[in-house]
Amino acid sequence: MKDVAAAPARSKGFFSSLAPRGRTVFFALTAVAVCLLFAFPVFWLVLTSLRPGTGVYYVHRGTEFTIDNFHDVLSQEIVIKALFNSFMISTLATLLSLGVTATSGYMLSRFKGPIPNTWFSLIYIFRCVPYVAWVLPLYFVTQRLNIFDSYWGLVLPHVAVHICFFSWIMKGFFDGIDPSMEYAAMIDGCSRWGAFWRVAMPAAIPGLTALAILCWLYTWNEFLFALILTAHETPILTVVMAQFVHELGMEWHLMSATAVIALGPALIVTLFGQRYVIRGLRI
Amino acid sequence: MADIVLSNVHKVYGHVVAVKDINLDIKDREFVVLVGPSGCGKSTTLRMIAGLEEISGGTIAIGGRVVNHLQPKDRDIAMVFQNYALYQHMSVRDNLAFGLRNRRVPPAEIAAAVSRAARILSIEALLDRRPYQLSGGQQQRVALGRCIVRNPKVFLFDEPLSNLDAQLRAQMRLELKELRLRVPTTSIFVTHDQTEAMTLGDRIVVMKDGFVQQVGTPLELYRRPANRFVASFIGSPSMNFLTVNVTADGDHFSLACRELRFRLPTGRFPDLGSRVGRSVCVGVRPQHIRLGAPANEKHIAFKGTVMVTEQLGDEQLLAVRVGDSEIRIAGVDPDLTLPTGSQIEAAVATDNLHFFDELGETH
Repeated sequence: MKDVAAAPARSKGFFSSLAPRGRTVFFALTAVAVCLLFAFPVFWLVLTSLRPGTGVYYVHRGTEFTIDNFHDVLSQEIVIKALFNSFMISTLATLLSLGVTATSGYMLSRFKGPIPNTWFSLIYIFRCVPYVAWVLPLYFVTQRLNIFDSYWGLVLPHVAVHICFFSWIMKGFFDGIDPSMEYAAMIDGCSRWGAFWRVAMPAAIPGLTALAILCWLYTWNEFLFALILTAHETPILTVVMAQFVHELGMEWHLMSATAVIALGPALIVTLFGQRYVIRGLRI
Repeated sequence: MADIVLSNVHKVYGHVVAVKDINLDIKDREFVVLVGPSGCGKSTTLRMIAGLEEISGGTIAIGGRVVNHLQPKDRDIAMVFQNYALYQHMSVRDNLAFGLRNRRVPPAEIAAAVSRAARILSIEALLDRRPYQLSGGQQQRVALGRCIVRNPKVFLFDEPLSNLDAQLRAQMRLELKELRLRVPTTSIFVTHDQTEAMTLGDRIVVMKDGFVQQVGTPLELYRRPANRFVASFIGSPSMNFLTVNVTADGDHFSLACRELRFRLPTGRFPDLGSRVGRSVCVGVRPQHIRLGAPANEKHIAFKGTVMVTEQLGDEQLLAVRVGDSEIRIAGVDPDLTLPTGSQIEAAVATDNLHFFDELGETH
């Protein structure tokens, strides 16, 4: 006999389940307003990037559209170089940060004693330091180490910040993984390190993915460190973008085109890892 | 195959003593169950044997070799965890093969060992699945398979059945017993469930507050509990206890608790002599109480009021008010109608009485 499954309860719909008793319309309007609040600047940015230089102040009135801005921007060597540098620095910083935060988060999650406690306190203290306060000392440190205006001069400070901010997230991920799996591995012939590497790390892949995306986006979008810790040798996209504002005026159309180009990879990364990022941010 | 010897093993966390001076001699191929309430130190003891906890003092020897400072991987043991602890990112086959691969066993041997273990546990059809695709019982079988595939000296079980529902637990108990026959290996099984302890163990170690209370076969523990704790922990429903005053009365001892009063011949209970003028705790198992008048002079009788009846189908359990105390009676005819408040008479053979002093030790 064919199975007769009970008819599923009729779905009440997303909005009505969140806001019952006739408040649906109000809730829906609020949701649309919030979406517009975030989406409108992006929409305006894209619109501006497609307007000629003379039309950027009349975006809402003009009907003339062009892709010349993109052509202009991409024909500038510094933009191409900045795109490449930003990509490389984001990727390098992400890889290094993952290596350190995974081990650091694992230690904070699994071990007790003076070393983890000290590490925990250090991270906590450094997290309390305002972000801006890091920049000036880092400027002198990178100068002294002869890595100013180089990949390492930007990658290492980013990694330092990531360790403080993301070790906590990683700890949360490892807290959610049952340690008896690692004990089983240790009995099955692994060392503690082997159990971490072969059992805990694969189990933490969703967490690592979330972290990788967050790290990458954070570095890709970062402006302050890039502005202070780099110069002509290592142009960074966010800084190059800002340089379209200069003493001769503001080239909004070119700046918008560069911003839209910068938006591309970030958008791809976000869409790819949206599920993981939300999970990562929840922790 | 190996024997396990624990000598004065203890474990301290800061100022808290988790396990106090355990001495235990487990013979080769013996199945020993550590049982006790939560926090009694049974799991800590098991984890010390596994090498997952450091030992604060004493020695643990497996197969004649002291393993105090050996890594878990070097102790030649296998362990089943409460939540199975299967490697979620690996297939069942890889879960089984993991330990052998770590020991660099040739692939052909690994494949043969995995098939053998899968055949023993009837999980051949599951080999290519991931753990999350398995039911609780199947996961438990895979966890067992991971143990037997390596053919270790010792199996350690840390409450492996407690995550299963009652029916599956009973089935897995049987399967564990069958497995023992097919793969006889020295085993230590930790549980808080006295039924598991009684049904599985060759010997049972009852623990409380980090101390071993008694070590013995299931029947020894049931029939001759060393103290009141063991008496109450082993057996279901739990043993009834009644504190009575002992007085000498010619060739009898008179035991009284308010209106409840009974006499025991001095010749058969000489140990009670030292308790005359003092109180003693009498224990009697619910199964040893029979409804009706006493059959002969070797029985004592009492009357009570039925408070609650529990129908189990093959028997009824009664809670009966006797004086100020509540007495549980098991094995009552299920067809007997006993409304709440009805008066009953019950008897218990004096041979089935247990006596404990005020420290709870057997008298």
